[in-house]
Amino acid sequence: MVFILGVNFPERNLVKKSLESFFGIGNLTSTRLLARFHIHPTCKVGDLANKQVLDITAALSDMKIENDLRRQYLDNIKRLKETGTYRGRRHALGLPVRGQRTRSQIKSAVKLNRMERRL
Amino acid sequence: MVSSFCWSCLTRLPTAPRAILPPTLTAQRVAAFHSSTPLLAGAKKKGDLPVAKYRQAKSAKMKKKKPVERTRPPAVGERRALRKRIVLSNPNALEVEGMQDLSAENMVDARLRGSILGLPVPMLDQLRAVQAFKPKQGWSIFRRPGTVVRRETLELGRLIDGISAEEGENKGKVVRKIITGVKGSGKSVHMLQAMSMAFTKEWVVITVPEAQDLVIANTAYAPLSDENPNVYVQNDATAALLSRIVTANQKVLSKLTVSQPHPALKTAVKPGMTLEALAKPGIQDPAVAWSVFQALWTELTATAPAAGFEKGFKPRPPMLVTLDNLAHWMKETKYNNIDCKPIHAHDLVFVQHFLSLLKPSTEAGKPSLPNGGLILYATSGSNSPTIYGFEVALQQLAARQAGIKPSSPEFPQPDPYLNADKRVLAVFNDSASTKSPASKDGSLEIQTIGGLTRDEAQGFMEYFARSGLLRENITDAWVGEKWSLAGGGVIGELEKLGRRLRVIA
Repeated sequence: MVFILGVNFPERNLVKKSLESFFGIGNLTSTRLLARFHIHPTCKVGDLANKQVLDITAALSDMKIENDLRRQYLDNIKRLKETGTYRGRRHALGLPVRGQRTRSQIKSAVKLNRMERRL
Repeated sequence: MVSSFCWSCLTRLPTAPRAILPPTLTAQRVAAFHSSTPLLAGAKKKGDLPVAKYRQAKSAKMKKKKPVERTRPPAVGERRALRKRIVLSNPNALEVEGMQDLSAENMVDARLRGSILGLPVPMLDQLRAVQAFKPKQGWSIFRRPGTVVRRETLELGRLIDGISAEEGENKGKVVRKIITGVKGSGKSVHMLQAMSMAFTKEWVVITVPEAQDLVIANTAYAPLSDENPNVYVQNDATAALLSRIVTANQKVLSKLTVSQPHPALKTAVKPGMTLEALAKPGIQDPAVAWSVFQALWTELTATAPAAGFEKGFKPRPPMLVTLDNLAHWMKETKYNNIDCKPIHAHDLVFVQHFLSLLKPSTEAGKPSLPNGGLILYATSGSNSPTIYGFEVALQQLAARQAGIKPSSPEFPQPDPYLNADKRVLAVFNDSASTKSPASKDGSLEIQTIGGLTRDEAQGFMEYFARSGLLRENITDAWVGEKWSLAGGGVIGELEKLGRRLRVIA
């Protein structure tokens, strides 16, 4: 088990997959991170050197990911609501925000747009 | 007249007792004319009847599916082991009588052309260690592995014999060859033959069995040092290379001792240490693998001992360096540099080292392999990327070999609009012109391997017949037909025709 940013990953996991398990890190960001620390894409977590683990953790702690990013999302939506914009209202009503029609197929909006937006 | 025999009495004769009848007849219940449904339905068990509970609604809800029991996935590495498995013997095939083993004497014997020479059994471990056999080659259909002696094989045998001879014009020469040819023409087996000959002559054999493995980003990489961060070292791949070298050449390396100081190595290098012992730490600790490989290379190319290391110095044997699937080293790799841009294969130090062997060394009097040797790099017909620069470079090489001057208009030039890779062109470029023909350091040649001749094809097909795989009369006409079907004797196609089992009606 290897700790990366306080999360414990089993050694057999791919480094790339493990990085992508963080909220806010996708394919592009993880590829860049791997390139920055000279880690090949099929590298397993167990194969990382200690220094590389520390480097990755340091790089991740500088980035806006996980709860910070979630909070930023929610703050942006909250601002829309507080200023009373149309977009804010749509968020609060659980309806699509970007001008989609609402006759059918608004499942995602119903599911996600709540008073407290789900992420 | 009426017979006294009473027919009705006959009918009342006692029937055979039940026990005499075979059990199947007694057990069988035969329905009169019903369809079989009621029989098949069988008696219902009591428990099967759904007992309606009091005030319970019946619904059309599907029952939840039971979770399917999955077997455990195969253990780590098991599937790869199965995929890469190499079977060299088939106990069902017949032993071919009178088949000779490859030896120092018969590898130059022109009378054996068209026959099959077996690989000596003690050598198989060495050949396996350098990964000379490929999984898709048909070694598993014969009793024991053997290869055809064809024209190219004999030439190769003479060359290897000449280089390792005590005297002669070829002694200590370096020959560099790129081997091309269509798919299935026997390029890899040609290199295997070179390896087996080199092992019989006690050369040092260094192989890269698959060039692709180094560029598809499946093995670790790191910048070489802080001074040159744009050159990358692959430690795990180098450790694997060292382990191939040491296992295959153990007999030779354990007799040679260290002759140069190696300040780069942290482990103490003592005079009298064998080269095998020198290489071992690199296998165990991949972090030092590259410097160990460099040390081993300087040892193998040494011509005279350094001061303080004179004791027990033996002249180094010639070297055979082979590489399969060269085209993969002519493009950008799947590795990314620090700016997330792909790294060119020529920026990998491992690749750089092996490509630098293609050029005669620029320093006069210090050839890249001073003890002589053979450098064989093959392209692949089945898994090779299309690289325009590489194609042009090979055409240029062939033109230069045919005597066309680079200044002449017939000399193939890259199309300026197709962006041929300049680094690729440069690798094959400046080798020929400056060298004098008498030099021991041969210039780069290109050798195209084509089909077998008809006589060789006949010998090859007879080998199938004598192994019991082919039941045919091997006549000239029959061989001629198969030779044409195989695209003019392409040996891989001939093998497909030979292994297809047919039985004469």
